[in-house]
Amino acid sequence: MALFHLEANGGGFVPPSTADFNLPPVFGNNQYTTKPILLVFLSVIVISIFFILSARKAATVPSRLQFAGESIYGFVRDGLAKEIIGHDFMKFVPLLFSLFTFILTNNVFGIVPLLQFPSMSHVAFPYVLALFPFIVFHWVGIRKQGLVKYLKGIAFMPGVPAFAYVLLTPIEIATYFITRPLTLSLRLFANMFAGHLLLLVFIMGGDHLIRGVIGLKLVAPFSFTLAIVMTFFEFMVQCLQAYIFTLLTALYIGGALSDEH
Amino acid sequence: MAKINEEGALWAIFGYLISGLLIWGGIGYALDNWLAKGHHYFALGGLLLGAGASIYLVWLRYGRD
Repeated sequence: MALFHLEANGGGFVPPSTADFNLPPVFGNNQYTTKPILLVFLSVIVISIFFILSARKAATVPSRLQFAGESIYGFVRDGLAKEIIGHDFMKFVPLLFSLFTFILTNNVFGIVPLLQFPSMSHVAFPYVLALFPFIVFHWVGIRKQGLVKYLKGIAFMPGVPAFAYVLLTPIEIATYFITRPLTLSLRLFANMFAGHLLLLVFIMGGDHLIRGVIGLKLVAPFSFTLAIVMTFFEFMVQCLQAYIFTLLTALYIGGALSDEH
Repeated sequence: MAKINEEGALWAIFGYLISGLLIWGGIGYALDNWLAKGHHYFALGGLLLGAGASIYLVWLRYGRD
């Protein structure tokens, strides 16, 4: 009867909640030295050191480090910027490259032992990150086509019966000015938040089970196994989200540069 | 190239559908608060209208050719 009783040794399982994301300051007594903020600074340092080291002794026959740095750069430049934006793509490579490496590093912090917290699971970081693509793609669109023509291209799509504009124009405007930056940031935030929560559930759950009665101890390894499986799954999601964020930024910039809309 | 464009189209369509629901649903909700307090007739109508209009918009953008 008590073999699987969850509250066998007093105190039920407390599932992880949003409270687990509000970490106390690492040192001092203020709100500026919390783990996510320190991780963001750490990510900048890590990225800088990695790419400075990989580019310092640039040789025709690249070392392993140089090869790694160049493949990431080449992936963003050729795979994303050149492919999507087309000519004039070099201007945007620094932005895309910074976004990609920054988001990727901060996401992967979610599964790096001891760090194990994705900074992007605090919604403020993705919000601010989404501001850059938002400003840039509108700015290049206005620069390329002129303010009136650009806004007209967004709001009034050619080849539509006039009465349909009443219905469609609000949707188009909302898409370009609200939904795009919002989905860009919320997709990143929600993926990182949910991923971290998922890991917390399996790890804290396993921890709780292994302290329980014998029947619970027996199932605890399954929880830990799934936590490990989910960690690998998270790594995939983290890379994918960094890629999608950069991909959509490139697509928005490419769309603003092209004349069709 | 084709794959990347499909990925982009996927998210663009998703964005349009969300915007349609948000905008027209929001207008409906505002009208409810103004004209029919306590009811949700306009919000319901707005959501349906928004869903229909955004699907139409997606068809115009991606389904026409």
